[in-house]
Amino acid sequence: MDGLDTGAENTWCPGCGNFGILRAVKKAVQRLEETGIERDRLVICAGIGCHGKIFDYLHLSGLYSLHGRSVAAVSGMKMANPELRPIAFVGDGDAYGEGLAHLLFAAKRNMDVTVLVHNNGVYALTTGQFTPTTARGARTRSSPRGNVEEPFHPLALLLEAGATLVARGYPGRLDHLAELIVQAVQHPGFAMVDILQPCVTFHDTYKEYNKKVEVLEEPLDQPGALALARERDRLPIGIFYRIEKPVYHRELHGDLHPIRDSLSRKQRWQLVQKLLSGETNE
Amino acid sequence: MNDVFTFLVGGKAGQGVRSAGTAAASLFMRMGRHAFQMDDYPSLIRGGHNFSVVSSSLEPVYSHYLEAQLVVALDQRSYDIHAPHLAGSGLMILDSGADGEGIAIPIMEEAQRYGNPQLISGVASIAALCAVLGMPLSEMNEVIREQYARRVEDNLAYARSIFQALPDQVHGRFTLERGTPRPQSLLTGNQAIALGAIAAGLNCYFAYPMTPSTSILHFMARYGPEAHVAVMQPENEIAVANMAVGAAFAGARVMVASSGGGTALMEEAFSLAGMTEAPLLFVMSSRPGPSTGVPTYTEQGDLYFALHQGHGEFPRLVASPGSVAEAFRLTGELLALAWRFQIPAVLLTEKHLSESRVTTSLDGEVAWPQEKAHRRGTYRRYRITDDGISPLLFPPSREVIKWNSYEHDERGITTEEAETISLMHKKRRRKEESLFKYLRGMHTMNTFGRTGPVVFTYGSTTLSVREALRHAGLEAQVVQPIYLRPLPTWELEAYADQQPVVVEQSAAGSFARLLQERADISPGHVIRRYDGRPFDPRDLAHRLQEVL
Repeated sequence: MDGLDTGAENTWCPGCGNFGILRAVKKAVQRLEETGIERDRLVICAGIGCHGKIFDYLHLSGLYSLHGRSVAAVSGMKMANPELRPIAFVGDGDAYGEGLAHLLFAAKRNMDVTVLVHNNGVYALTTGQFTPTTARGARTRSSPRGNVEEPFHPLALLLEAGATLVARGYPGRLDHLAELIVQAVQHPGFAMVDILQPCVTFHDTYKEYNKKVEVLEEPLDQPGALALARERDRLPIGIFYRIEKPVYHRELHGDLHPIRDSLSRKQRWQLVQKLLSGETNE
Repeated sequence: MNDVFTFLVGGKAGQGVRSAGTAAASLFMRMGRHAFQMDDYPSLIRGGHNFSVVSSSLEPVYSHYLEAQLVVALDQRSYDIHAPHLAGSGLMILDSGADGEGIAIPIMEEAQRYGNPQLISGVASIAALCAVLGMPLSEMNEVIREQYARRVEDNLAYARSIFQALPDQVHGRFTLERGTPRPQSLLTGNQAIALGAIAAGLNCYFAYPMTPSTSILHFMARYGPEAHVAVMQPENEIAVANMAVGAAFAGARVMVASSGGGTALMEEAFSLAGMTEAPLLFVMSSRPGPSTGVPTYTEQGDLYFALHQGHGEFPRLVASPGSVAEAFRLTGELLALAWRFQIPAVLLTEKHLSESRVTTSLDGEVAWPQEKAHRRGTYRRYRITDDGISPLLFPPSREVIKWNSYEHDERGITTEEAETISLMHKKRRRKEESLFKYLRGMHTMNTFGRTGPVVFTYGSTTLSVREALRHAGLEAQVVQPIYLRPLPTWELEAYADQQPVVVEQSAAGSFARLLQERADISPGHVIRRYDGRPFDPRDLAHRLQEVL
């Protein structure tokens, strides 16, 4: 037993791609523990949507946050306690739509968090509307005459924003996905794995993905990664791009650990007195 | 009170008008006097018309007066606008480039000798102030050195030229009594809020700039490292509030701040804090609304908005300070209460308190957050307890800690079960009852004056009311509820049949409505002001006299 089950009733549709993601995450947690990253430091966060239910199914600490806001929430966790390794589970409507700004800014800052996108190209929990990654022309319940918008290339978008690890995974290749998650969590800085998640009810892509998915052996340079990320016909999975850069919280305030280093009541009072006696011309 | 001396300096944005006001307030403080500085400025960076007005007295001065004994007009527009504000015995000093009655001196002409003539021209007003107060050149030099330390040589030379350009009969025109210098500081409400939060254990501050809350961010960004406080400016207010919940989950004492518009963007996360039972302090500093409104002016039009933050039913606190010193104390108190009861708390204030600079002594204890902590055994985040408060535990921990925005069971796992839903509602209701009970033992309301008619007010308008009464020597009992949600009805019962006068900066009379709705108090008269400007004590005294 991995001790990662909560006993909560699972309500994903039978055959849902999320089951594979959940299994891959559990494998990844165990592998991370083998490398010395203990599970009590992994804190999870989820947005709202089918993906978010993973929060109830994983026996890990965390915050089941709002639609689109989990990337902001994990940023707050990291700022407060840099020892934590936050993982945000997000959906495509959730993170590429409702909360896109938070995702792009976390990448821009190189916030040291991991984002796992359950990208199924549809709003499933609200029973089938088009999302930012739905193909043009797709008929959904909110685009009955065909989606008139072009979809985002999410990996390209995140590369442009400054993400320091960008990857794509597929639960049909479970071990490969688990390894991507391990590397994303180990990566010092912002890591995003866009996970191709078939939705058996509203957007069943198993056949297409099984046929198209190919493993990318090595990360590329940035122009190469960008070019590949923009391709629609091929579906490479693996790490597209990886680079090490200073992480945000260290750039902002060095080794400060706001909770551990919190000043005592007395030290604070002394500081207030000192500030009162000095110039406070802000 | 006749000992109030008011200095007013007007000019364009970029002429150092606000710094001049602050320098004047510091000068009065040096003299052992109290001072109140109000800056009036439009939402622009260069040009327009700014003025800073500083009233000073040997007694505490609660709000500024527009009528000034000394007006320094750095440009024509300032002269035209402020000539009517000159007191009968007052003195107008104007730039020789402007037309008008008064002592014309070459403020701008002399300034041309220096690198940044616009910026330096504000120094002239301080040189003039020193001169009219009869200070010798040496004391003026000290003042300039203290207040204008950057490019001090230029500032000294320029100030001297202005000091000497003033005719003899102007020197020593006013004699101001000096008081015993006392330990006090010149603080804005926003600085007091920042200091109060630091004193009360703040770990993280998140904010997106929005007037009139922005100077809290400036203060925190500057002093955060020394205070070991993580200070971050995220991409928008939605991020601010959601990061705050994430940081609270990690165990940090967190504060955020904005004005009405930014707080509106935080509403969904405010409700998240209610559901997850996140201890959070929201500072909301109002300006005239609705919408973008009038960014750099004051109003109390957000009262009901503050009272009803967030969708859904959950306990929360709203309180508003009536002075700078109270802003300091109350910030700490609200942070502590947010932690004791694991609720979102709102400190509601307005531009008039946030940005006015007042001589203040901060003493007494600041509250310190103490949460109900998990001791031993299996942890359940939302454990059902008698007082409705579940113990807190933070990661990293061997125990699993789940905070949930969905309705949840005791473990924090999502639920749709009828019984659990009502059980959790009841738990949060019991928490609210515990909070109310606790507040009954606290200082939740101020009263000033023991006899005379009853005047109700709150927030920064308390400043105007107290100064108006002092000015006119009126006897009245001022009642200022500090807590607005819950309103301390147990204290207010005594005023049920009083038909008090209500004073507020609101077009709709929101505070009067609140008193009626929540405390069954029917106001006799409601004195309102809603043009963005704080009440002037003289005008307000006049209006009070009409109805008292």
